Amino acid sequence: MAGFTLTQLCKSFGHTMVLNEISLEASDGEFVVLLGPSGCGKSTLLRIIAGLEAQSSGSVNIGNRVVDSLPPRDRDIAMVFQQYALYPHLTVRENLAFGLKMRKESTAVIEKRIGDAAELLEIHELLDRKPKELSGGQRQRVAMGRAIVRKPKLFLFDEPLSNLDARLRASMRVELKKLHQRLGVTMVYVTHDQIEAMTLGEKIVVMDQGHILQIGTPDQIYHHPINPFVAAFIGNPPMNLIEGSVHLEGQYLEFHAGDFALRLETHAHIETAIHSDSAVLGIRPEDIKLDIPSEPHLTLSGFIDVVENLGGDHIVYLISQEQHLTARTTPNSRRRAEDPITAYVPLQKLHVFVNQVRIPLELYYH
Amino acid sequence: MTKPLPERLMLLVGIVFAVLGSLLPFIWFVLTSLKSQIQVEAIPPTWWPDGSLEFYYSALFDHELFNYIWNSVIVASATTIIALVIATPAAYALARIRLAGKVWVLGGLLCVAMFPQIVIAGPVWQILERIGGLNTHWGLVLPYVTLTLPLAVWILATFFKELPVELEEAAQIDGCTTWQALYKVMLPLAAPGIFTAAILTFIYAWNEFFFALLILTDPAKQTLPVGIALFQGEFTMPWGEIAAASVLATLPLILLVLLFQRGIISGLSSGAVKG
Repeated sequence: MAGFTLTQLCKSFGHTMVLNEISLEASDGEFVVLLGPSGCGKSTLLRIIAGLEAQSSGSVNIGNRVVDSLPPRDRDIAMVFQQYALYPHLTVRENLAFGLKMRKESTAVIEKRIGDAAELLEIHELLDRKPKELSGGQRQRVAMGRAIVRKPKLFLFDEPLSNLDARLRASMRVELKKLHQRLGVTMVYVTHDQIEAMTLGEKIVVMDQGHILQIGTPDQIYHHPINPFVAAFIGNPPMNLIEGSVHLEGQYLEFHAGDFALRLETHAHIETAIHSDSAVLGIRPEDIKLDIPSEPHLTLSGFIDVVENLGGDHIVYLISQEQHLTARTTPNSRRRAEDPITAYVPLQKLHVFVNQVRIPLELYYH
Repeated sequence: MTKPLPERLMLLVGIVFAVLGSLLPFIWFVLTSLKSQIQVEAIPPTWWPDGSLEFYYSALFDHELFNYIWNSVIVASATTIIALVIATPAAYALARIRLAGKVWVLGGLLCVAMFPQIVIAGPVWQILERIGGLNTHWGLVLPYVTLTLPLAVWILATFFKELPVELEEAAQIDGCTTWQALYKVMLPLAAPGIFTAAILTFIYAWNEFFFALLILTDPAKQTLPVGIALFQGEFTMPWGEIAAASVLATLPLILLVLLFQRGIISGLSSGAVKG
């Protein structure tokens, strides 16, 4: 077991830069999620760590060992692929044994490791079957088993759940989490699914267009997104983002977007005035309250556009001062479309981004 | 979905005609081979043979057919093995590795496969004479390998392309070198393609007549097609023996194809439907 360090990794295919100065550190046993839209370079980054792809520059260090010149087989890693990549001509048992045989482990060790992995993943009765006789979820387990038996320093997962249906994905997610807790080994997990990232990750790395935008715990990423992209990418329904202009001076914050105007008094005194026409105001749907909160808040009046009933929650689409907003609230059967509505947003829940960068408003509201 | 009866009947008749049409010459040879000399020369010709095996005996022992069969086995097997040993890594490289001008290599191969034999007959003969390959088996295997390689490479490259890259990458992470990944994972999976390429190569080498005639003039070295063609003497046309020998020459191919039928079918139809 070991952590890893990536130092200024760059990768280009021809003239296309797919990874730009990626530096990242993970400690021993950490669950790191690489999150981003397709084409952001997250899979390429994983493949560089695996040694399946060579970086254009920069360095990969796994367990205090620079592995840049080592082929995948010598990096002491295991990888679970999106398409499972089980060897179709071998039985499950042979699939699990393959990597151990290549490393010339004794038969006794191989038997023991396969037994342990089969027990952990509950795949005992599948051992003598061929991959084509397995369901998607079973194949996924075997693919994980093949990684586990090797006892590698580092586990790499390339969107391993994206081929499963929603229900199975949810249960495999939980199993993966348990697996990580039991094995305590460093894992790198690539996904475009923000729910997987939030639930599995101890450290989330949000990427876009070959850059790392933000590294943080799920809470940090969710509550303090560094820019509007991260803010919109995490959370479901996505954060309400209103584009407009902002003026911060003295004790006042003013935000304008067409008819939508906002003037707030802060608790701190802002020394240097900030003014920008490229500002974004962000409000998470669950932070739009329909009951008056006790803390200082902002009041929005408007009317209901659509109500979506999710059973446990209602998603209320409302229009206030020509802005379309989404609110997630507790159910209330009396809400009807076109009814007038008053909504409240606690001030410390507002996110303000100026020129694509977060203004730490929480400093101003205590 | 079942079709209406008239349509099915027409289909059946069509199939029977097609099969009979293509089998007729062969059926006639089989019948002829089982006749006696008197029946062969009878006018009008008789259809049903009396089941005499005299032509088989004569072909095998008077005309030394075993010798030709043995030569053919050597030449066809050697061609198949050498062609596949070369074609497999070549096809793998063409299918997998990012190479500049790959399209040109594949296109070039296809062009080579289309050369009329007569165009290269002269140069081949001259080269073989220069390096002492005339009247040797290896001298025949050499052009055979050259001529069958393009097809074998194409078939195998198609196969390798269809195998998911992840399998190979999984193998590499599991501890394989590129070569080990090729022969431990990719080769077993490409087995249908390898069978197909092997059988087509073998059939080509087994049936080939022109180069065999050109290169092998020593009867002790000649292969089946040439040997059988030279059964006829200056004044004789031993139809019965030729028929019997032809049947014996064809049998191994039929057996081979039947044996590997399933592999070949999936081989030839691969690429048509993603499986």
